[in-house]
Amino acid sequence: MRRKVVLTGYGCVSGLGVGLAATWRRMAAGKGAIRRLADEPATEAPARRIDGPAAWVDVDACRKALAAEDLRAMGQLDPLSLYALTAALEAVEAAGLRGHASLARRKAILVGCGSGGNATIDQAFERLYARKLGKVHPQTIPASMMSAPASHLAMLVGSHGPTFAISSACASSAHALGEAMHMIRAGRVDVALAGGSEACLTPGSWVAWNSVGVMADDTCRPFSRDRRGMVLGEGAAMVVLESEEHAKARGARVLGELAGYGSTSDAADMTAPDLNGIEAAIRMAHEDAGIAPEEPALVSTHGTGTRLNDPVEAAALEAVYGSALPRHTVIATKSAHGHLIGATAAMEFVIGMEALARGLAPPVLGYLGTDPQCDLPLALAPTPTPIDNGVLVSNSFAFGGLNAVLVGRRSA
Amino acid sequence: MTVSNEAILAVIAEESGLDAAALRPDATFEQLDIGSLDVASTLFAIEDKFGVEIDPDQLNPASTISDFVDLVRQLLPS
Repeated sequence: MRRKVVLTGYGCVSGLGVGLAATWRRMAAGKGAIRRLADEPATEAPARRIDGPAAWVDVDACRKALAAEDLRAMGQLDPLSLYALTAALEAVEAAGLRGHASLARRKAILVGCGSGGNATIDQAFERLYARKLGKVHPQTIPASMMSAPASHLAMLVGSHGPTFAISSACASSAHALGEAMHMIRAGRVDVALAGGSEACLTPGSWVAWNSVGVMADDTCRPFSRDRRGMVLGEGAAMVVLESEEHAKARGARVLGELAGYGSTSDAADMTAPDLNGIEAAIRMAHEDAGIAPEEPALVSTHGTGTRLNDPVEAAALEAVYGSALPRHTVIATKSAHGHLIGATAAMEFVIGMEALARGLAPPVLGYLGTDPQCDLPLALAPTPTPIDNGVLVSNSFAFGGLNAVLVGRRSA
Repeated sequence: MTVSNEAILAVIAEESGLDAAALRPDATFEQLDIGSLDVASTLFAIEDKFGVEIDPDQLNPASTISDFVDLVRQLLPS
């Protein structure tokens, strides 16, 4: 019989705030983090050059959260690592695992990340190409490599088990959580710290994203008529996963279960979503969890708010759930925290599990009215919708056709 | 440009994460647990800040703080 994988700690950082408590307060109040820096007092920060809606992290608040930690050996920290460390510290402390012997060996660290340390790379290349200087900071490579957060987290908690980054664009942290679950099921490790981090609000990354032609110039309006695209956010979310017996043996408080994981590849297009691949991933996750699609669930959509993604995701949900679809409650939290790319799946999973625990579905923001192609049972009230669902289905569908779906179960 | 020893020490402190008071003149980088990457980062920051170019071969883990300050001072225009 396979080992059950339970969740014992969450941590998150985004434009909504530092920590799950602050995040939930904003979510529940329907106060999203998307804003324009043009509306803010001018600063000298490079982010000032980002001319459009986005959801920025309060970097100083992250530094404050980490103030008691000795980070000296970690060298220069890109925001990518700073966010991951902040979220991981919260998750590990919430799980009561700080300094616990279990952290040393039979533990994995998997960090989803879409694009590495953009700020560090931007600063280095600005020296070369704009200022025509011959040298860049000696820590440019170690600080910007995609696996830097994984290494930094291992140093933070003193973990010597398997530790690496997982990259699948916007599905990265769903793959990280799902693969961590499999490592525990297989008995390779007893504990995993898994999630994702992304810090892509830099001028270079911003221009590149804009050139894709999928960015909204107003805000993120998932599944709404007149939606105009996605909005970039940044941040990190980390989860502590354990085998049930390990959690029980140490008397840990169990927050829920990671019960299922489906993962597919469209093998079709680098940007356009594919109905078949998405539908297959959702079905696979249900099957893996042993949960029928008819069982009422909180469905946390990928819900980017782009013209192309939302109708394909809606069609996949209709295909999987059919006449049972109205029994489910559908949320789209990117409307509050923006698209965290490699961190977004973990962020959405953590918010979804918190929603199950509280019996409240956070509102979809920015909705202007029904798009007949995306007619879903959305949680639209300005305040959270009461729910009594024991199951979370959390969707992530990445550029390049890489799909990952997680199924979580509320703690009994 | 007039650069004080304190200004040079402040850069070493910033890049190494140590308190400036801990940077005793006779202590080596090795003794202070300042690794090679931190030394490289310090050289980079000094070059950027004071407009000098430092040959990294003139420093090694056994170099003292005072050796480093002297080296930078020699390179600064008087």
